[in-house]
Amino acid sequence: MKIKKISLIILSGVFLSGTVIFIAYLALLSEKVEEKLEGVLWTVPAKVYSRPLELAEGFKVNLNYIKKELDLLSYQERKRPSSPGEYYLTKKELDIYLRGYEKQKPGLFRITLDNGEIKSVKRSDGILLDLISIEPLSIGGIFPSHMQDRILLNWSQVPEELIQVLVLVEDRKFFDHSGISIRSIFRALLKNTLSFSKQEGGSTITQQLAKSLFFSPEKTYSRKLKEAFASLLIETNYSKEEILLAYINDVFISQSGKRAIHGFELGAQHFYGTSLDNLELEQMALLVGMLKGPSRYNPRRNPERAKERRDLILGVLKENSLINKEEFINLSSKPLKVIKPSFRSQSKHPAFSDLVTIDLRRNFKDKDLRTKGLRVYTNMDPVFQLTLEESIKKTKRNLIEKYGSRLEGVQMAAIVIDSLTGEIKASVGSSNPREFGFNRVLNASRPVGSLIKPWIYLTALGSYKDFNLMTSLNDDLLKVNLSNGDVWEPNNFDKKFHGEVRLHRALWQSYNIATARLGISLGHEKVQSTLDSLKVEKKLKGYPSEFIGSFELTPYQVIQAYQPIASKGFYSSLRAVREVTGPSKEFSLTFPYSIEQVLRPEPLHLLRFALMKTFENGTARGYSKDRLKSWSVGGKTGTSDDQRDSWFVGYAGDHLALVWVGFDDNRKTPLTGRSGALQVWKNFMEELNPSSTSTLIPERITYEWVDRFDGKLSGRKCKNSEAIPFIRGTEPKDTPTIRKGCRTKYDIFSKENINFFMQAVNL
Amino acid sequence: MKMTFSRISLILFILFLTSCATQMDQKVLIEDSQLDSFNLDISNFINNQQKLKSEVLKINAKSPSIQRILNNSDEFWLKGNLKKTNSELERALRLSKSESAVYLRLSHLRLEQGLFIESKSFSSRGLMNNKASSWEFFLLKIYQKLE
Repeated sequence: MKIKKISLIILSGVFLSGTVIFIAYLALLSEKVEEKLEGVLWTVPAKVYSRPLELAEGFKVNLNYIKKELDLLSYQERKRPSSPGEYYLTKKELDIYLRGYEKQKPGLFRITLDNGEIKSVKRSDGILLDLISIEPLSIGGIFPSHMQDRILLNWSQVPEELIQVLVLVEDRKFFDHSGISIRSIFRALLKNTLSFSKQEGGSTITQQLAKSLFFSPEKTYSRKLKEAFASLLIETNYSKEEILLAYINDVFISQSGKRAIHGFELGAQHFYGTSLDNLELEQMALLVGMLKGPSRYNPRRNPERAKERRDLILGVLKENSLINKEEFINLSSKPLKVIKPSFRSQSKHPAFSDLVTIDLRRNFKDKDLRTKGLRVYTNMDPVFQLTLEESIKKTKRNLIEKYGSRLEGVQMAAIVIDSLTGEIKASVGSSNPREFGFNRVLNASRPVGSLIKPWIYLTALGSYKDFNLMTSLNDDLLKVNLSNGDVWEPNNFDKKFHGEVRLHRALWQSYNIATARLGISLGHEKVQSTLDSLKVEKKLKGYPSEFIGSFELTPYQVIQAYQPIASKGFYSSLRAVREVTGPSKEFSLTFPYSIEQVLRPEPLHLLRFALMKTFENGTARGYSKDRLKSWSVGGKTGTSDDQRDSWFVGYAGDHLALVWVGFDDNRKTPLTGRSGALQVWKNFMEELNPSSTSTLIPERITYEWVDRFDGKLSGRKCKNSEAIPFIRGTEPKDTPTIRKGCRTKYDIFSKENINFFMQAVNL
Repeated sequence: MKMTFSRISLILFILFLTSCATQMDQKVLIEDSQLDSFNLDISNFINNQQKLKSEVLKINAKSPSIQRILNNSDEFWLKGNLKKTNSELERALRLSKSESAVYLRLSHLRLEQGLFIESKSFSSRGLMNNKASSWEFFLLKIYQKLE
């Protein structure tokens, strides 16, 4: 009796504790289900995009450029574009079927062109528009450690067709059952028993969703039981719409490298480059069809199998009268048309990504970047980026061919910005542009060589009573006694002395001795003050050798310091990111463009004249006058001591580009700024052929014909004369008797005269 | 009869001329009154930034596509959404760097945001524009004088 009682108590205890454990388990499971369905467990990594390309009436376009852009976006060339992602380009017209994105509706558009200028933009129904925007290129993401990626949709964004196809294919009784289908389970059990395996799942959509709560792929009966409990909990607490939406956002679609593509919206973007609501029925059918075997039916890896599967799904739609026979024939005859993958779990452009990360880290926590579904719109121009990468590779090949093993392992870095706005368009941190690791744009602090000279000459020209472009500088032997007792003796690159040289010539010929003497006469303090205006944070140390380039900066710092020169005096801090938006449309963080006029226009005009001469006669010579004028060009080569660094910085059109070439271990190279870095710049600019925006010359600037040797007044027809800009009042006043005959009244300053010069130089 | 007809014709002709003259007078009067109320004195704009803004918003872009973007930005501005106004103006600036209408709006927007140095800098950049009209120059120069 006593034993019976004890047994009963023990049994009751076991039962009770079992019940408590079961209830606790259910509570835990319920919490997990709630988190999943409320979206807490979904991590949505930040997506990074390039800038969208806008095509506007009245603006010039480069056909090559458009073709490259469309190729990067995986648009297909087709004579009569009829579906999203197709285009046809001739010299006179661009017909394009846009895929659309949040700022541009999809559709067919016709752009009429005349000599590279957009004459009109029309919709397919003939309605005239002013501009269209081509979707930005997806260039990367910022991922959590498990690398799951998705884009969340709300119920109103889910196309009705997808719901119909999905329910029909995956779970016909979805709207009727209560989470589990007993019939399916028995059918699966029977099949598995007969085949001695656990192949058949018999899962409903709810069960499949429940399955993803447990991050393990095991197929056990206990796991099935857990899923069944979870399914019942899901069905008890959530509506059918909520369950289906969670499934659409959560289901695994494909693996792309380390990145796992989840949810239909990201699936649509991954395979078709557009949103789910822009997909055609056959494209949706493929995505639904892939659920059975994401790897087996991957249209990129197994296109034939994927097409078979898609057509099978289309057949199911026909059998269930969702489409008729003609539609079935039409849809199943269409090719798969998946795009090339442009997105990488690791960015294809690591140097640019580093710049993006810097901008983002200032404003966001790392965890939020990896989980909150932010969209990062950058300033990257994908065509510029590609062209810069190609220019780097091409130049490296050419240089190694020319110099052989001496350049084995040579490194390069380059960055391109919009001169006025400071927007970073492209960046490469290695001679192997897609290589991860040391980013030389940001981290290689190197002697700038002659790139420091324009800042010294700008300092001098600011003291306009003492210096103008024709001021005579001494380029003879210079010896400076240093505080440690040493004597510093700078040398020119050609190892020659040039005597008295005019200031502008000393700059574009890059004479070291004349510049060192000029720097010393100005003093470190004055030059530092110019560097401060250009917002260079690093300070000069006070060595005379800094005036000919021992001063060390990174490529990023150098281009920032040249940006106000390229933009005609307006500083704007460099920015890789344009805007960050959140999953809710209300959240948006912009990185506004801010400018500050930091340079006086008159001395800057004189400096830009000398920098233009670098291209006309100096170290970057070799271009036709027309080309120089249309580009409104200016630049400077730089070569550091013993040719360890080859630099070039130059603006053309509205863009400024900087290139560095050298070795990481600071070895000597056989290169100068001209033979190394300039070649990358040339390859890049010649490919893009940018057009420039002309501006007025500053009011207090006048031009005069002067003699290139004595600097006194001359005439257009006089021998050795050249047109030089002066700040009004500083121009020479005397005309030597010998030139009174060839200096006519037309050579005297007048509005027409100025116009003549401006047409000639376009500064 | 002939006499009557020619008299009537003459009277009608005189009436026609008189009505034309009256209409011309009226037109001139309207223009005069507009000109009277319009004072080119720069202080008029410096002291009344709302008036300056309304003048700036009347400046249209030369390119229709830029004008379309400016219409968007003006709409956002009127609704008080300065962030979107700025985004649209930057969008316009990316397409063209030679539209005074864009520089004028950016100068005024920065003024409203309290960013005086930037306001002045945008107007300085606008003043470099060789396609600006004299009226655009006049307005741009005002931002150089605002503190």
